[in-house]
Amino acid sequence: MDERLEKALDFSNYMVTLNNQKRMLKEKYNESLVYFSSGCQFTVTRELITFVGFLVDKGNTEDIVLTDDNDLPAKIADLEKFYEDILDVYFTASNRYNSAYEELKKNRKTETLVEHEEI
Amino acid sequence: MKKSKGAILIARNNGRLDYIKQAVFLAKRISHYIQIPVSIITDSKDYLLDKFDSSVFDDIIEIPWTDKNNYNRLFYDGSLSHKTAPFKNDIRDQVYDLSPYDETLLLDTDYIISNDLLKSCFDMNDDIMMFKESYDIAKSRNEKEFKYVSDYSVDFYWATVVFFRKTPENKIYFDLIKHVKENWNHYRRVYQIKSELFRNDFAFSIAIHIMNGFDKGDFVKPLPGKHYYTIDKDILWKIENDKMLFLVEKEKYLGEYLPIKTKGNSIHVMNKFSLERVIDKVANNE
Repeated sequence: MDERLEKALDFSNYMVTLNNQKRMLKEKYNESLVYFSSGCQFTVTRELITFVGFLVDKGNTEDIVLTDDNDLPAKIADLEKFYEDILDVYFTASNRYNSAYEELKKNRKTETLVEHEEI
Repeated sequence: MKKSKGAILIARNNGRLDYIKQAVFLAKRISHYIQIPVSIITDSKDYLLDKFDSSVFDDIIEIPWTDKNNYNRLFYDGSLSHKTAPFKNDIRDQVYDLSPYDETLLLDTDYIISNDLLKSCFDMNDDIMMFKESYDIAKSRNEKEFKYVSDYSVDFYWATVVFFRKTPENKIYFDLIKHVKENWNHYRRVYQIKSELFRNDFAFSIAIHIMNGFDKGDFVKPLPGKHYYTIDKDILWKIENDKMLFLVEKEKYLGEYLPIKTKGNSIHVMNKFSLERVIDKVANNE
């Protein structure tokens, strides 16, 4: 095989593998952003954080009704704790995502992309 | 009164695949990640007791061995190899009656648990949950067959993982699945399913459609997380704690694969042959 083509195909495989690993990291991140409260599931989004933060700032902290991921109402007894918990979920998941992504970027070969501990 | 909770696995060997081996492997992972008791429904109790550590199971529920209602189907082992074997999938509708638990997590033995997400099912308000949204980790393939039961038919739900509580509504649902199974030729025509092969995913999906008033609805809520899967033309290469390494079929290049590593994702591994090879490797290293 032409050496130029061989090198290009190696790189092509590397890129596909890199993009696959990036995709799986993103999936893992999305799965880590889930928070459970009052028997309901909430995906921690920037919108949820902002809205809950706004309610807490306005002094609405007890027995507040939010809608969950299934658009069903859930009464949250202590919204301040809910707020702290979702922030914790967000930061933990985001920091893990960031460290894994940084590690991923360092790997320049297809083999090392799937061998690293953090990824 | 505190409700009993646990997982149920079904294992019926077919001469080619050792579902008991898969169930023992999965039971250990469920105990590790979800920390609930696990029971097994099997027609091969003696084999289980003879060859494996049965103490991983809370209860062994024996069912009679039968070759009635068995269809043969192809089981791939990567894109270049396949074997034909009986498909013994006609007991899932009986799990409601057979489960010793008030709250049951029913899993396929090839659904490899690698995190604690499903633990939260037991704290949720919803009495029945299944996966509707799924994600092929290869991502390059057409996922349409897992979105709808057929081209012009109803939403597809995966029967791979089912959480349910024993409620009168769920009893009606499971009884309805039995009815759909017993009248499969009728229902597959009504729902425009070409294959004669009975599939639990289809029967569960059809029954959900009926329970929802012959419409889309929320009788069944989504399980936490997403249903990640690899097809049987991919190969599971390695499992190390919560990490799995797959070789996924390269699109349009028969016999060529690309590596994908996952960490902390529970994944439905449809290539059961490669799963069994990896289980053997893990067992040898223990």
